[in-house]
Amino acid sequence: MEEFKHGQKIKLTNGGELTVVSKLGEGGQGIVYKVKYNDKEYALKWYFPKLIKNPNKFYNNLSKNATMGSPAKEFLWPLAVTDIQNSSFGYIMKIRTAEYKNFAHFLNAVVRFKSTNAVIDATLNMVNAFQSLHRKGYSYQDLNDGNFFVNPDNGDILICDNDNVAPYGESLGVGGKSRYMAPEVVLGKTKPNLDTDLFSLAVVLFMLIYISHPLEGAKVAGCPCLTDEAEKKFYASEPVFVCDPKDSSNRPVRGIHNNVINLWPLFPQYLQNAFVRSFGDGINNISQRLMEAEWKKIFLRLKDDILPCPKCGEENFVSLAQNEIIDCCECKNKIIKPLLLSYRDFEIALAPTKNITEWHTEDGDYLKIVGTVVQNKSNPNLWGIRNISEKLWLVKFPNDDEKTVKQNEVMPILKDVTISFGTKKAIIN
Amino acid sequence: MGKYDKVEGISKRTMVLFFIIDKSYSMSGSKIGAVNVAVREVIPEIQKIAEDSADANIKIAVLTFSSGAQWMYQSAIDAKDFQWNGINVDGTTDIGQAFKLLNEKLARNGGFMTDAAGSYAPAIFLMSDGQPTDEYKKALADLKNNNWFKASLKAAVAIGDDADKDMLAEFTGNLESVLIVHTPEALKKLIRFVSVTASKIGSKSSNAPIDGEVQTKQSDFNQQIVDFNDTLIDSQYDDWN
Repeated sequence: MEEFKHGQKIKLTNGGELTVVSKLGEGGQGIVYKVKYNDKEYALKWYFPKLIKNPNKFYNNLSKNATMGSPAKEFLWPLAVTDIQNSSFGYIMKIRTAEYKNFAHFLNAVVRFKSTNAVIDATLNMVNAFQSLHRKGYSYQDLNDGNFFVNPDNGDILICDNDNVAPYGESLGVGGKSRYMAPEVVLGKTKPNLDTDLFSLAVVLFMLIYISHPLEGAKVAGCPCLTDEAEKKFYASEPVFVCDPKDSSNRPVRGIHNNVINLWPLFPQYLQNAFVRSFGDGINNISQRLMEAEWKKIFLRLKDDILPCPKCGEENFVSLAQNEIIDCCECKNKIIKPLLLSYRDFEIALAPTKNITEWHTEDGDYLKIVGTVVQNKSNPNLWGIRNISEKLWLVKFPNDDEKTVKQNEVMPILKDVTISFGTKKAIIN
Repeated sequence: MGKYDKVEGISKRTMVLFFIIDKSYSMSGSKIGAVNVAVREVIPEIQKIAEDSADANIKIAVLTFSSGAQWMYQSAIDAKDFQWNGINVDGTTDIGQAFKLLNEKLARNGGFMTDAAGSYAPAIFLMSDGQPTDEYKKALADLKNNNWFKASLKAAVAIGDDADKDMLAEFTGNLESVLIVHTPEALKKLIRFVSVTASKIGSKSSNAPIDGEVQTKQSDFNQQIVDFNDTLIDSQYDDWN
């Protein structure tokens, strides 16, 4: 196939026309070019002719997806599809910028997350993106370490390779990548679907947090050659979660799987339980797999639970406190457990820089900050909560005194004080 | 320092890519010239694939044969450290000797398959332009009993019409993974494609099961090289000048 040259024009099915700028790269399926369309730069993915198994179906699906529009900002979604030309076709999408790094580079430890908070934000972004996709009735079908990019500083993600995304019940022929496919796909029992997406999502979430594979421990390391048969055994017919409380046959091996050995105990039990469920009962029992909404609650709980060490800044979790003391996982500083702001469904560690969001106060957007914990400038040991929302908070002290806290006002953090945010009344304890 | 500053690279299995190259006298001129250029050029590409993958370390081993056979290096070497030594032609086509040496090294003990994190099935890529000049049947039969060989991805290139295609098919196990080329340009393209495809096989998404049948890596690999071969522009007749 002749490659496109600078300045070459290609027609889009929406009537527009793009101009090729330069080649950006080449993959197994085709070539990616930088192009100009309506005076903006985009990426054009152009397929090699003959490599797509069912080109008409593929092309029609791609066109439908472009018309439907992106489910969430995380997807490098097909924005417009080209006419068929030189027996092939392509689509345009946003260009990925340099701050987003290939997730495989995190796994190779060439790129590292800047903070635990960035890791948790990455998992939240992943879960939100997939929730949006699934709520539109689509499944992704090929989630693996090679098709998303992460900003190591803040956990922003971009998901590429959206050309296999298909409506419920449809399959475009992709099975998925070894080690990320759900067991029922590996065993040939089903084609990829929403439930198999949830399995791959759990694998990817585990790998984001622990930089290790959930099914790769002693059993797998002991296998000299990973043949197709061995792969089927370890990842589908007889998989064992490396941290399965009931089966220790596939524990991580010191020297080979150090990351999960080191990181697993640093996170709270409720996160561990979610993975035990995903890769224990949920590995074959589809109804036990966690939906995105459940993951979201867990990751938001982790954010509330975070407590930065006042000495070294490393992020710890308050729920790991023993006898009201948290041993900093990094500098071993003994941190006194701070007061918590509690309600039925949340507990926020009240330490400087921690936030209260609309998610807490009215089950709204977790990105919308309504309050933040601040330190008194002249006495840094005095902490308070600043209301940065437009709504009034009603605060009640243990002696039954009441006061309202307006925007930009600060209330003290004292035990047994209650704050009413509209219908929710939280207590500091 | 935080907990994520101490993270190590995930443990990766090794995939050894074997090049088994005929350097008999008949390979002189543009045949060996194309091989030297194509393999040397594809090594940095393989290195990039290995760096961008969290699935496999890719190592390269090169075995050449003419009157006798020899390894370019005495172990399989990381793509990033591999230095290509140009191959010069001499002698006959002792492919049986090459099969014997390959069989010895497709082993954990005393062989090349020694990595602690384990291996993927190796990929073995054989290139020859002639008829065997030694007794190869016994060596090939022994090789076919080797479990690493059985599990490996195999491809062969028949360089020109004089190559022994039946023998190459005996090696790969089927005629469809024997690809025939007639020009240096086609040979170079094929070497690149087969090497890159083999290096990516562990990272590639497979096709969905059809009627409960799951595609094996070997059949996926065969399909890819056959599809590529169909698109390859090559002369119908030998043209090695």
